Amino acid sequence: MSALPDRRPGNHNRAMFWRIVRRLLFAHRARLFLILLALGAGAAVTGALLNLQADAKRRLTSEFRRFGPNVLVLPVAGADENSATLPESIVRSIPLENANSKVEAASSLYTVVRISSAQSKSPVTAVLVGETPFAFVRALHGSGAGAPPNDVSPSSRAGHECVAGERLLRKLQAQEEAELRLSAGEYSQSCWVAGVQQRGGPEDDRIAMGLRAAQNLAGLPGLISAVELTVPGTPKQIEQYAANLQRILPEAEVRPLRQFTEAQGEIYSRIAGLLDFTVALVLILTSLCVMAAMANVAAERRNDVGLMKAIGGAKRRVLRLFLAEATLLGAAGGVIGAAAGIALSMYLGKAVFGLAARPRLIVYPVSVALTMMVAILSAFPLRRLANVRPASVFRGES
Amino acid sequence: MFLRLVSDSFTRRPRRKLLTGAALALGMAVATAALSVSLDVGDKLAREFRALGANLVVTPQADSLPLEIGGVDYRAANAAAYLPESDLPGIKTVFWRNNILAFAPVLETSAQAWSPASKTWSSPGVVTQVSVIGTWVRHEVALADGGKFVTGIAKTNPWWQIQGRWFSENANECVVGANFARRSGVKPGDLVYLNGHEKSKQAAAPRVTGILSTGGPEDGAIIVPLSLAQALAGKAGEYHKLYVSALTKPEDDFARRDPKTMNADEFERWSCSPYVSSIAYSIQRVLPGSEVRVIRRVAEGEGAILARVRILLWLVTVAALLAAALAVGASSAASVLERRTEIGVMKALGAGSAKVGLLLAAEQLLLAFVGGGAGYSLGLILARMLGERVFGAAPEPSFLVLVAVLVLSACVTLLGSALPLRRAAHYEPAPILRGE
Repeated sequence: MSALPDRRPGNHNRAMFWRIVRRLLFAHRARLFLILLALGAGAAVTGALLNLQADAKRRLTSEFRRFGPNVLVLPVAGADENSATLPESIVRSIPLENANSKVEAASSLYTVVRISSAQSKSPVTAVLVGETPFAFVRALHGSGAGAPPNDVSPSSRAGHECVAGERLLRKLQAQEEAELRLSAGEYSQSCWVAGVQQRGGPEDDRIAMGLRAAQNLAGLPGLISAVELTVPGTPKQIEQYAANLQRILPEAEVRPLRQFTEAQGEIYSRIAGLLDFTVALVLILTSLCVMAAMANVAAERRNDVGLMKAIGGAKRRVLRLFLAEATLLGAAGGVIGAAAGIALSMYLGKAVFGLAARPRLIVYPVSVALTMMVAILSAFPLRRLANVRPASVFRGES
Repeated sequence: MFLRLVSDSFTRRPRRKLLTGAALALGMAVATAALSVSLDVGDKLAREFRALGANLVVTPQADSLPLEIGGVDYRAANAAAYLPESDLPGIKTVFWRNNILAFAPVLETSAQAWSPASKTWSSPGVVTQVSVIGTWVRHEVALADGGKFVTGIAKTNPWWQIQGRWFSENANECVVGANFARRSGVKPGDLVYLNGHEKSKQAAAPRVTGILSTGGPEDGAIIVPLSLAQALAGKAGEYHKLYVSALTKPEDDFARRDPKTMNADEFERWSCSPYVSSIAYSIQRVLPGSEVRVIRRVAEGEGAILARVRILLWLVTVAALLAAALAVGASSAASVLERRTEIGVMKALGAGSAKVGLLLAAEQLLLAFVGGGAGYSLGLILARMLGERVFGAAPEPSFLVLVAVLVLSACVTLLGSALPLRRAAHYEPAPILRGE
C-alpha cells in the first residue's frame, strides 16, 4: 500500500492521507456494505467460473477416457498382412507418461480361429483377441449391457476364461458359462465363457482371452498385433504424443484415433467460450452497479472536495485519495468474494463432474485483480469531483 | 400528488436514475440471456455432440461373422450378406425421423488397383490389391412425402478430413486414403484403374478428386460412389453396412430394459422417448432382414458427457442469476439510502412511514419494470450472440423468460429496498433536517 508515491516526505502527511481514506470508507457503513456486496458477488462468480473452466479442461480429458483407446500402434501395413506382428517388447519403449498422467497401454494379438461348442453343429470361424490381463479383466467386468461381474473364481474351472461377443455367442447357440473349443492350425484349446460383450463394435463378433493363451494357440509366442493406448491430455497433447511415439518406433505405425479427440477439443472450446462470456457479463454488471452507487457518492462529496481544494489540496492528491479508496474496496471485495467463489466452484465441480474441482492458485489473484480493475473503473463518476470549483461550492451553487 | 412525486423523482435527476436503471437492465439482460440459452440450447447441444459420429450401425441379420483385423476382412469372398438400397428412404418414415440426422450406406469390396502415377521408366507400375469402399457423400434421398433429404458419410463420420474435394456421386470420381496415396504416389487429378471381382468382370477408371485422412483403416482404401462399388462387386442395388447418426436422450435404467419384457404402457413410454435403443428398434422394423446395433462406445460416452455439460450450463445460469440479483439488489438499496433528507422532509410535513414506503416502493417498481423490460430486449440480443458464437444456434425468444425476468427484477429491487426502507421508518425528521 505504501507504494503509492507521496511527493512530500514525512509520516505526518501519509498518516493524514490514510486517515482521510479510512473516514471516506467508513463514513457510511450501510453503503460500504452494499458496494462490497456487489463487488464480492462479482468476484465470487468470476472466481467460481474461472476455476470451473480451468478444471473443466482436466475433467473433460478424463471424461473422454471413457471412449477408450485413442492411439493405436500397429505393424507397418503393406507387408504380408496375415502375419504382420510386432514383438511384445515394443511396449517397453512406449513412454507411459503424458500431461502428468499415466498412459494406459494394452497389447493384443488378433488371430482367426475355429470355434465349436457342444450345441453348434458346425464350427464357426471368428477372430480371437488375446489381451493383456488388465484389458481382459476390464472387458470381463466392463460397463454396458450383458457383462455382469462374474463371481465364479477362475481356479474353480478347468481351462481358460474367455469373453465372447454377443453375436458370436448367438451364432454358436451357446450361453454364458458354456465350454468352447478353439482351434487354430494344429493347436487347440478349450475355454469357458465367463462374460458376454455387447458393445455395438467389432467386439461383438469376436472372442477374447488372455494374451498368453492366445499366443500359444496361434503359435506366435512373444508377438502381438497391436498396442492400444489410452493417452490423457488435450487433443493437441495427444497429437504430439503420437508424433513423438512415431519417432521412437519407426518400425511400427502410430495411428491417433481422431474420432473422439476432435470432439473433445470442440466441446471444451464451447464450454470455455460460455464461461468466458458469462464472466465478462457479470463483471460489466458489477461495475455498472458500483458505478450507480458511486454517482451518489460523488454528489455527496462536493462539499468535502471543495473544502479540500480551498485549503490547498492539489487535484492530483484529491484524485489519489479516491483512487486509493476504490482500490481498497476492490481488493476487499475481491479477496473475500473470490475465496468464496473458489470454494463454491469446488462444490459445483462436485455437482457437475462428481468430483470436487481442484482449486487453482492462479485463479485467485486473477479474479482479485479483475475485481480491483472493475472497482477502479466504476469509480469513474468520482473523477468529476476533481473539477469542482471551491468558490461555487461555498456559495451553495450546485 | 403521489404520481407527481414519483414522476418528479425521475425527471429531476434523470442521470442518476439512468445509471441505476442501466445496472438493473444489464442485470436482467444477463438473467434473460442465461435463462434463454439454458432453456433452449440443451437440444442443440445434443446436436453438437453428433460430432462424435454415427451411434447406430445396421448390418444384415444373415451376415456371417466378419473376420476383420486391422480393417481387412478375411472372409471368403461371397460369405457376406447384403441389404437392398431401395429400403433406405424408409428410415425417414419412422416415428423419430426428425431425430435421424444422417445415414450413409457402405459397401466394401476389394479390387486390383493400378495407377499411371506409380509407373516409372523401368517398371509399368505396381498393381496392388486394395479395399474399395463405396458410400454416399452428398446423396439426395427422395422421401415418401415428396421432400428430399441430403445425407452421406461426411455427416455420419464428421472427423474424416479431406484434402481436395469429395467426389460427386454421378461422376466417375473417387477419393483415396492418405496411406494409399503415399504408397502409390497418386495425386488429385490422376486416374486410378480398378479391376473388380473375378465374377463381376467389371473395371473402372475413376479420377481422384481428393485425399482422405481418417486415422482408421480407410486411410489405406479407395472411397468411391456407392453405385461404382456395387458395379465392381457385382451387387447392384445392395449395401452391406449402414451408419446412422441419431439425436438421442441419454439412456437411463428404464431405457436399457428389453422391450419384450415390458407391458403395453411401459412399451409406449419407451418407444415415445428418443432413447438410442428405441430408435434402433424402430429402424429395425422398417429395414427387413436387418440387425440394428447401438455403438455403445459412442452412445454411452456421449450421454454421460452431455449430462455433465447440461448440469454445467444450469449451474452457470444459477450463478449468473445470483450475481445479477445481488448486484441489482445492492444498487437499489443504495439508491434508497441516498434519500434520507427527502424522507426527513416528507415526514416533517406529516407523511406516515407507510406512505413514504409506498412512494419509494412504487418508484422502485416502476424502475424495475422499465429496466426489466429493457433488460429483456438487451438480453435477447446477448442470448443470440452467445448462442450463435458458442453453440452455433440462436435460442428462440420465449414469453416464459419475459415473465420470469420481470418477476425477478421486481422481487430483487423490492427486497433490496425493503431493508433501507425499514430503517427509514424509524428516522426522526429533526436530526436529518439539521444535517446530523
